[in-house]
Amino acid sequence: MLSTVQFSSFADFINMGGYAFNVWAVYGLFAVFLVVNLWFPLLKRKKIIRNLKRARQRQSQDQR
Amino acid sequence: MWVWFAKLGSPKWFYEISGRWLPWMAGAMILTIGFATVWALLFLPPDYQQGYTSRILVVHVAVAGTSLAFFPLMAVAGSITLIWKMKLADMVAKNAAPIGAWFSFLTLATGSLWGSVTWGTWWEWSDSRLVSMLFQFFLLIGVISLRSALDDRDQSARACALLAILGCINVVVIKYSVEWWNTLHQSASPVTIGGGGANGPEFWVVTLLMILGVYLFMGISLILATRNEILERERNAVWVQEIVDGS
Amino acid sequence: MKAHRRNRLGLILFISLGLSVTIGLTLYALSQNINMFFTPTQVAQGEVKPGQAFRIGGMVKEGSLMRNESDLAVKFTTTDFISDVPIAYNESLGILPDLFREGQGIVAEGSVDSFGVFQATKVLAKHDENYMSPEVKAAMDAAKLLQAEGSSFSNKGYVE
Repeated sequence: MLSTVQFSSFADFINMGGYAFNVWAVYGLFAVFLVVNLWFPLLKRKKIIRNLKRARQRQSQDQR
Repeated sequence: MWVWFAKLGSPKWFYEISGRWLPWMAGAMILTIGFATVWALLFLPPDYQQGYTSRILVVHVAVAGTSLAFFPLMAVAGSITLIWKMKLADMVAKNAAPIGAWFSFLTLATGSLWGSVTWGTWWEWSDSRLVSMLFQFFLLIGVISLRSALDDRDQSARACALLAILGCINVVVIKYSVEWWNTLHQSASPVTIGGGGANGPEFWVVTLLMILGVYLFMGISLILATRNEILERERNAVWVQEIVDGS
Repeated sequence: MKAHRRNRLGLILFISLGLSVTIGLTLYALSQNINMFFTPTQVAQGEVKPGQAFRIGGMVKEGSLMRNESDLAVKFTTTDFISDVPIAYNESLGILPDLFREGQGIVAEGSVDSFGVFQATKVLAKHDENYMSPEVKAAMDAAKLLQAEGSSFSNKGYVE
């Protein structure tokens, strides 16, 4: 099953037997979907921790 | 069993254990999705009719199959919230909806890109599989807007749980639409173990691998979102403040 | 009642109204026969009123496809191996999908004219659930041919 690469040249690979737009669009969308759904929660986590930190500092200043 | 159940409901416990799971899940996800993608793009043989457009289906089938898991998951989590008032279950239910909407959207988009060349149409309103999947997307948007419309957390949890249970009916309709009615959409492919016939291992092994990877991805993104929710909701707990101070 | 509460109540009413409409429509659709297309046999049995626009789904019969290069007219017969319905289409309405060929499943939109010919306005190709590499397909066709030659006296007919 993993013995033969289906393409003889890189241009063939890009061309996908004439369905380049559809095939690459799907894999491109899939990549965006994976990155967005992992990157965004990680960014949000950073923001939450930053905000909580700031709130803590403000709190300790008020107490002083 | 009940001790374990009660523990699972504790956000702190979940935060800690999921932190230990995440690296393993991420590693397994990168391996499976990466391997399946390279396989699908380089080694998967073309279909005798569709040519290389069958490569679209590796992604489409994996994402579509996983998208059907969201309503049952939300219904179970919602029921647990309704019965035991478990905070964690509600957080999972809340964060599953937007991820599920993404899954449904990608299912429709990849399906369209496949249909436009094989069927000769991007969209058919008369196809019950297509329309019921679109309906799932709208239902999930409905769950998200219902959540933001209600300020009271208990009330919104209850309303969303109810909607999630109703949404499960639609999942059954999506699943069996291709068998109950004549549709343009093909039915699920049977799997054959031996080679030399239709649907041999050269087609389904890579798809199975992709399904596994996409399920791991679903788990990871859900855990990441739930952990964020825990940090926000438990911001005054000592253990959260320790995490904040430690980072 | 405070303004923001009234807004919220409106929104909830709106959502629950939308929800009940969609659930109602789903249940209605479930109770109806929401088939996308009729089969040639259903058409032959008169399940479709004459002149009514509908969709027909079946196989393009082997050897029935005729193309007129000058005016882009396409004629073929669709079959479910029980009944046949002749279909006329013109590619000036839109090019036929890549998968369109003899032996291929199709769904056509249009209506039956007074001669009993289905005048299609749109033709879609339907892919079945079987995926094969060209090599496997060739091997299976060769095996089928061999079998047909070996047992030509007990020919049960072509079954897809």
